Amino acid sequence: MSSPSGPSAGRVAVVCGVGGYVPPGIVTNEDLTARLDTSDEWIRTRTGIAARHVVDPGTATSDLAVEAGRRALKSAGESQADAVVLATTTPDQPCPATAPHVAAQLGLTGAAAFDVSAVCSGFLYGLAAASGLIASGTAERVLLIAADAFTTIIDPEERTTAVIFADGAGAVVLRAGTADEPGAVGRIVLGSDGEHHDLIEVPAGGSRQRSSGIPPEPGEEYFRMRGRDTYRMAVEHMTTVSQQAVESAGWRMEDVDRLAAHQANARILTAVGDRLGIPDERRLSNIERVGNTGAASIPLLLAQAAEEGRLTAGQRVLLTAFGGGLAWGSTALVWPDVAA
Amino acid sequence: MSTMLDQLKEILVSKLKVTAEQVVPEATHEELELDSLAVVELSLVLEQELGIKISDDELLEAPTIGDMVALMDERSAKV
Repeated sequence: MSSPSGPSAGRVAVVCGVGGYVPPGIVTNEDLTARLDTSDEWIRTRTGIAARHVVDPGTATSDLAVEAGRRALKSAGESQADAVVLATTTPDQPCPATAPHVAAQLGLTGAAAFDVSAVCSGFLYGLAAASGLIASGTAERVLLIAADAFTTIIDPEERTTAVIFADGAGAVVLRAGTADEPGAVGRIVLGSDGEHHDLIEVPAGGSRQRSSGIPPEPGEEYFRMRGRDTYRMAVEHMTTVSQQAVESAGWRMEDVDRLAAHQANARILTAVGDRLGIPDERRLSNIERVGNTGAASIPLLLAQAAEEGRLTAGQRVLLTAFGGGLAWGSTALVWPDVAA
Repeated sequence: MSTMLDQLKEILVSKLKVTAEQVVPEATHEELELDSLAVVELSLVLEQELGIKISDDELLEAPTIGDMVALMDERSAKV
């Protein structure tokens, strides 16, 4: 008979590599004002965004994911992983999943590979899935990538979303380790509210619309979001779930050295940071230069902050996200000694 | 005890970067530079700090600060 807690008791996932990637194309606010009825001031005051990276024609989510994954593996000093988890809202195709293709491109053919669909909370849902693979003994090493070519589902003529959303990817490598190590992933607090599934959505293109036999109305194939309701829900849920994650980790809010929140909108980030009582200098942010990159947002932020020395080994980091679903999540961890 | 206008002024100044002199009963959203997200934030803060529930739609439909104060008086009387 095995021990009551099983053969992998005490095994937890530990972050041991991080990497981020944005495509080279840049769209500035000035570029947008040339084709949309908006202004640099309007975009900056409403969103805090000055520029965003966008894919070139023909570039897919997997191309972004492969580059971020390669960088995270290099950061970990590894070439192997026995599972690849890809969080994305914009898969290369409706079927099959994009993760197996990403794994193959990275020379990881044969590894377990699947996609996670949780929109802007995808990285935290993916982290929970990856942690579970390790805790259960299913995998020793997991490459978790979050990537979105979000601009591919944005109506270029819709000024409220076209100014916010952008493309990018971020990744972490997780290995089996113990809970007392820096980088150990503890409890991840997750939640959802499908009563508000239509707050953030792409109405057409799925089985609901296809089985109706009714062609989509113009614009229904694009992403849409109700801005004011999204602001309210994001602020409330990100604040609450962050408080739960900090409590669950046995920390107090003043112990948090760095807040790494989904870079949804600078106004939301300010409202959440203020409510949590985390001072401005402890809030990581890159939204001004990369916009809202969907699922990629948190790991891209971690990679850039680590590279620039704003996130260093031993700092206590609070990760928090909210997005379509609705779905939200948060966790707290001690940042390990990894170079992006 | 402070008036409802004073309480609204305190919130607008401390949370929404409005200057105290701007907060007069006849001032409009535009004059205070309260955009739609600021009005949602105001709705959230009114509920958190004063326990007064007024939706962002209702606040947007109130043309002036004086109209917002009237809504706050009406809602707080029901609490």
